[in-house]
Amino acid sequence: MLSRRSRERTKELIKHGLILLVLFSAFFPLYIMVVISFKDNDQFVRNPWWFDSIGTWKWENWSFAWDTVKIYIANSIVTSVAATAFCLLFATLTSYVIAKHKVPGRGVVYYGLIALMFLPGTAATLMTLFTLLKDMHLLNSLWPLIILGATGGQALCVFILRQFIEEIPNELFESAQLDGASSWQQIMHIVLPMSGAILGTLAILQFIGNWNNLMLPLIVMRDDVMLTVPVGLMRLEGEYVKEWGQLMAGYTISSIPMVILFIFTMRLFIRGLTAGAIKG
Amino acid sequence: MANGAITERAGVERAARSNAPERTTHSAGRRVMTTIRRLRFQWSLYLLMLPTVLLILVFNYYPSLDAIRYSLYRWDGAFIEEFRGLENFIQAFGHDRLFWQSFGLTLILLVANAFKMWPSIFTAVVIHRLQSERWQYVYRVLFVIPMIIPSLVGLLIWKSFFEPMTGIMNKTLQATHLMDVLQWLDINVLGWQAFTYGSPAWLSNSHLIVPTLIIWGFPWVGVIGVLIYLAGLQNISQDVYDAGKIDGLSWWGKFSKIELPLIMTQVRLMLILMTIGTLQDYGLILILLGPEGGPNNVGMVPGLYMFTEGFLNQRYGYACALGMVLFVIIMSITLVYQKLVRVDK
Repeated sequence: MLSRRSRERTKELIKHGLILLVLFSAFFPLYIMVVISFKDNDQFVRNPWWFDSIGTWKWENWSFAWDTVKIYIANSIVTSVAATAFCLLFATLTSYVIAKHKVPGRGVVYYGLIALMFLPGTAATLMTLFTLLKDMHLLNSLWPLIILGATGGQALCVFILRQFIEEIPNELFESAQLDGASSWQQIMHIVLPMSGAILGTLAILQFIGNWNNLMLPLIVMRDDVMLTVPVGLMRLEGEYVKEWGQLMAGYTISSIPMVILFIFTMRLFIRGLTAGAIKG
Repeated sequence: MANGAITERAGVERAARSNAPERTTHSAGRRVMTTIRRLRFQWSLYLLMLPTVLLILVFNYYPSLDAIRYSLYRWDGAFIEEFRGLENFIQAFGHDRLFWQSFGLTLILLVANAFKMWPSIFTAVVIHRLQSERWQYVYRVLFVIPMIIPSLVGLLIWKSFFEPMTGIMNKTLQATHLMDVLQWLDINVLGWQAFTYGSPAWLSNSHLIVPTLIIWGFPWVGVIGVLIYLAGLQNISQDVYDAGKIDGLSWWGKFSKIELPLIMTQVRLMLILMTIGTLQDYGLILILLGPEGGPNNVGMVPGLYMFTEGFLNQRYGYACALGMVLFVIIMSITLVYQKLVRVDK
């Protein structure tokens, strides 16, 4: 009896050990990032593995990096928040109509959206999109990122929201209609309060996607003050002489907004990540 | 755009007509009133859908159709625009060595990525088999944390690992004396002369680029993969495990006879995503090796080739034609996979 229990214990310990090993390697790059952010290049070459004594920490890496990346972070926050908000607003309106009103043509709209999920975005459409934006005089501003961020999420968000809104009982909408509530009021007072969780999940998903978007800002932006975090970091990394400490401090600072978001929305976050992968 | 408006108006008229017979008992004036009210109501509904419809028509469908059109043109994005028929495609299939080479590399990466899926599956199974539910949750949260870091930051840190003089990769190899083994291999078997000075340049030596792309991301545990496999594993009922216990399955038997078959839906989903990603993505290689794909274009993948042809060499038309080819390939693979997944459900 005892030996069996202890065998179970060893089994559990082996499992924990394996998982910790994998976790260690997942966290290792982040650890290195923080360690190096406090070093100058000499210290980095001499000892890349571990912190030096605290007196020799190079705090100026952080202040220098902050001065460089704060504008990128501001741009990223503005575009990601605006794109996510527009995306969810438009998607909710469309999903409400498709789910609750039998207007002619709703099938066309719905399947036109769903088809986009299976349409691979290649570099070719990136080119025609680029010329389109050029003709619309939208280059080198934050607008194309907001507009295209909102566009990119429509298919998935309508796909998920439609199913969700369809399950809201019809009686609610009918009694609201009898009370003379317009479509807009029905959305505000019935749809929004009842789909808070799913909207939160989708919001996080869209936010992560916009925050990580690289190719579009890369081709659209020219001025340094317009760059978002990914392109800004890419440009910093491409500079000829590298101060590794400053770079790593910059990486760390750019990661902080997402960390904060994560701390407040952990559950939604995990659900959003899982839902995001299912869209293919 | 005009097209959409026409179909919408036609739809409303049709709706008005189909509603008309129901109201024959009402007086004519009343009927007109209800029709108008109904029309107005429906227009407000179309108005609600308008932003979405406009956005996807202008920014999704128009560029896609434009790309199809320009695949038949010689086009530099600004001044030259000349119809060439299928010449771009003939050029790509018949005379473009780099185009074929890029697909060769994609094939290698597809095989490598198929192997790189396994660590995520194993990790999910190990977490799932923990007895304590609380620990399962804790590990799930811990696995999400590295995901929060912007993907580009993770990528750039990994890139710094491969720096020849300062990178973690070479330092580890030197500290563990694996470098001596590699040097011996290089001199006696490979003959690449890549390790001669003991600090190989992983990202700029044409022999080492493909191996680097394969090692990339070690130990290849993808957070999203783990979460999706875990979701699948949680659907397996306890009865199945109990039955397995009666049959006396070993830990490997439990994996190969119960867990793997029952998460096959998730595995196929990840396989689809992986395949499409490998065929389509080029951001990683653009950042690691630059727009030319490194020395001798060893690291050139189809997506990057399109990007470089279009934005750097100003051969937009040709790039659109390449895009069409890739599009057809990805579409057909998606359809084939879609069938496979549906069979399982």
